[in-house]
Amino acid sequence: MSAGIVDVATAKPGRTVDNEHFTSIGLTDEWIRRRSGIATRSWLPDETPLAEVAAEACAPIVTRMGTPSSIGALIVVSTSSRQRIPGVAQKVAQLVGLGPSVLTFDMNAACCGFVYGLVTGLSLCDAGGARSVLVCSVEAMSRMVDRTDRQTACIFADGCAAVLLEDRAEFTGFRHVAGCDGSQESLMRETDAGGIHLDGMQVYDRAVRRMAESAQYLFDHGPAPTVLVGHQANGRILEGVRGFTTHLGVPFVNRIEHSGNTSSATIPLAFAGELDAGSLPAEGRLGAVAYGAGEAWGGVAVDYRVPAATAP
Amino acid sequence: MSDIEGRIADTMLAKLRQRDPSLGPDDLTRPIADLDLDSLDLVELHQQLERELQVKGDLRETAGFAFLDDFSTYFVKLASGE
Repeated sequence: MSAGIVDVATAKPGRTVDNEHFTSIGLTDEWIRRRSGIATRSWLPDETPLAEVAAEACAPIVTRMGTPSSIGALIVVSTSSRQRIPGVAQKVAQLVGLGPSVLTFDMNAACCGFVYGLVTGLSLCDAGGARSVLVCSVEAMSRMVDRTDRQTACIFADGCAAVLLEDRAEFTGFRHVAGCDGSQESLMRETDAGGIHLDGMQVYDRAVRRMAESAQYLFDHGPAPTVLVGHQANGRILEGVRGFTTHLGVPFVNRIEHSGNTSSATIPLAFAGELDAGSLPAEGRLGAVAYGAGEAWGGVAVDYRVPAATAP
Repeated sequence: MSDIEGRIADTMLAKLRQRDPSLGPDDLTRPIADLDLDSLDLVELHQQLERELQVKGDLRETAGFAFLDDFSTYFVKLASGE
C-alpha cells in the first residue's frame, strides 16, 4: 500500500482579465505574451473569502468520495491568505462537511507550497495518520501584487485546485526531493509598500535550473514519472525547464497562457487542466516540480488514478 | 577565430535569429541595447553558452554586459580555464 492521488478538482472563480487591461500601465499584449506567455488570467473579487473558494474545489471531491468521515486531514496551502487567526483550513472543513475528527492546518511555502503540501499529505497517508488527505491550494495573488507594477501585475493571478490522497495497493511509493537557501531571500519578497519584488533575471535562471534538477532527481530515484508538471511561473521559465528535460522523454506541461502564475495553485490547476482536456490518461505517475520564494524548491513523483468521469 | 570562439558565435547568432531571422554575423558586434533582446533572452543565452561549452558562469557578471562581444570574451576565458 502506498499513497497516491485519487481525485482532483478545481475552482477558478472570478473575472477573466486579458492583456488589454494592462495598457493603462504601458504594457502591450505582444510584450506580455513574449515576456510571460500569458494571454489571460483570473482575478477574484477582493471581498471573496479564500475559504469559500477552497471549499468550491474540495466539495465535489468530498461528494464523489461519499464518505467524508474517512478524510483524516485537510491541508490548505496558500501564500496569499491574509487570514492568520483563525486559519483557513478549519472553515473549509466546515463548509465541505468534514470532521470533527480531522487534522486541519494552513501551509505556506510560496510557490513550492503545493509540492510541500503534497509531500506532507502523502507522508500522513503512508504513516497511517490518515486514511485520506485533502490537499488544497488556494491563491489570490491579485491581492498581493501592486497592480501598477509593470513587472508583476500581469504575471500573477488567482486560482484554486485540490487533490485527494489515499493509500492503494496498486500505487508505487512516492519520491520527493526538496531544498532551500535562505541566503537568496531577497530574490522574491513581499515589499513593505505592498507588492512583490522579483529579481527577474536571477529568478529565471535559478528557477529553470532548480526545477530541471528536481525533475532529473525524480527520474534517477524510483519509477519514472509519465508526465512532468512544473510550477507555472512564467512561460519562458517553463520553456527553459522543457529545454533541460526534453531528454527525459515525457510530456512537459505548459498551461500558463490562460491561467497566469497562481503561485502554489499552478501545479494542481495545470494537472487538472491536462486531465480535463484529455491530454493525460486517467492514471499514471505525476512528476511535479516547483521553485519559489525563500528560496525553496522541490519535486515529488506520485502515482495517480482518477476515474475518467471525475476528471474536472 | 578559434573553435571555442566559433561555437560561441554560432550560439549567439542562433539566439539573435530567434528574434530576427535576418540578422547575420556582423550584428554580433552591435550593442545589446540595439538588438531585439530582452533580459530573459540574455539569461537564456548565458545558459545556452554554459551548456555548449560545459562551463559554469556567473549570471551576475554577464547580466551587465553591454555587447555580445563581452559574452564571447567572458566565455572564452571560462572555457580556457583562465
